[in-house]
Amino acid sequence: MGAYMSEKKYTKDHEWVSIENEIATIGISNHAQESLGDIVFIELPSVGNSVKAKDEICVVESVKAASDIYAPIDGEIIEVNNNLENDAAIINQDAENDGWIFKMKISDSNQYSDLMSEDEYKQFLEQ
Amino acid sequence: MPFAGFNMPINYKTGIINEHKNVRNHSGIFDVSHMGQILIENNESYLHKLEKYIPLQLKNLIKNRSHYSFLLNKDGGVIDDLIISNIDIKDKPYLYIVYNASRKKEDEEIFFSCTPNAEKIYNKNCLFAIQGPDSINVLKNIIDIPNNMNFFDILISKYDNNEIIVSRSGYTGEDGFELSIPNESAENLITDLLKNENTMLCGLGSRDSLRLEAGLSLYGHELNENITPIEAGLSWALDKERLEDKNLNGNKILSDQLKNNLSNKKIGLISTNKSMLRDGMTLFDNNNNEIGKITSGCFSPNLNKSIAIGYIKSEFNTDNPIFCEIRKKLELVKINNLPFVKKNYKKNGSVYE
Repeated sequence: MGAYMSEKKYTKDHEWVSIENEIATIGISNHAQESLGDIVFIELPSVGNSVKAKDEICVVESVKAASDIYAPIDGEIIEVNNNLENDAAIINQDAENDGWIFKMKISDSNQYSDLMSEDEYKQFLEQ
Repeated sequence: MPFAGFNMPINYKTGIINEHKNVRNHSGIFDVSHMGQILIENNESYLHKLEKYIPLQLKNLIKNRSHYSFLLNKDGGVIDDLIISNIDIKDKPYLYIVYNASRKKEDEEIFFSCTPNAEKIYNKNCLFAIQGPDSINVLKNIIDIPNNMNFFDILISKYDNNEIIVSRSGYTGEDGFELSIPNESAENLITDLLKNENTMLCGLGSRDSLRLEAGLSLYGHELNENITPIEAGLSWALDKERLEDKNLNGNKILSDQLKNNLSNKKIGLISTNKSMLRDGMTLFDNNNNEIGKITSGCFSPNLNKSIAIGYIKSEFNTDNPIFCEIRKKLELVKINNLPFVKKNYKKNGSVYE
């Protein structure tokens, strides 16, 4: 683990974010994956797009419903997980590691500090 | 998930796709106790009153057989679709009707207006469906099933010293059975069925994807009070002689529809990419003219693509491309004959479609 690897944080939209060297990796939480059920398709975001926190940037389709994925913080999309294109079920198998969806170069690290810690997210789920 | 006043599982722990495949390859058990079940005495004056709504010759129904039918409103629109069976219970002849949970209020108003002593049995009897090619093997270890029982045959059998109603039917396109069993024996029956290691409990999610692959209509989607059975492509289920009978609601409208062209037709659609087709999406031709709507859509585990049923304008030439609006983008979809997956029903000891 590098010195710049931060703890994993969560949003109220059930996404997780981890930051290393100003690069944020984003996916949906294990809880979100369980609620969605079998995921069959993901429309990945476009690399190079600049986005603002709360922008809808891509869509996860499960057998039950389509769910929007939001940018958790401001930044630029720099990479997407192309493995999901052929096998979106990776998110069901490992939502918070191999099932990462996209990476962003972030512009304001203060926004990151405002997100929930793992413990806070657990409490949020229990509410 | 709340469903017609019941709290129903969309799926159990292995998920919709796994449950779906298990039904197609082995078997699966659905608790459909939320559905309506009613017994109506098989008495000529009651039957005559019911024939105002039901497009069958009720006094000619064959004993120990089930029929798919409807309750029709005065315009021939579908108040509900149902399964109606002629069966003796404790030596007394009855019509046994199974109908949709979401339509209990409307249906029962009609049943009780025709037959004041109709007997609702869904509060004392659970209803389970076991579906899939292995259903017969799972069931015959537990209940006596005659070898010559065909799809849509119905009979009384015994379990735990209770009489249970067994019909060879279901709504998945597979061979299978529905069992109406007194509540006190229901848990034992489920426990006995689950002793077979290749069967499993299945929820509403796989029930929907299975019936959609089989091209079967669902009330509230393909069927409602503004659609007639003919418009829904279900004219095979109407007794044609009854369409000449003024006692049948909407008889003139229905017989005119049979002779003339309809304004809409029911179609099957399949996605050309990985996008999901869902209920309510709009269909367009290649000039951006709206030509119809999707009424049911899901992911098909058997085809590994999204499939849908919808209605389009009859005049649309289906050799031309069809586009579906998915999240503000128009995506090409292909017409697919219904059903998407071959039916696998049992007749005279063999499989028929």
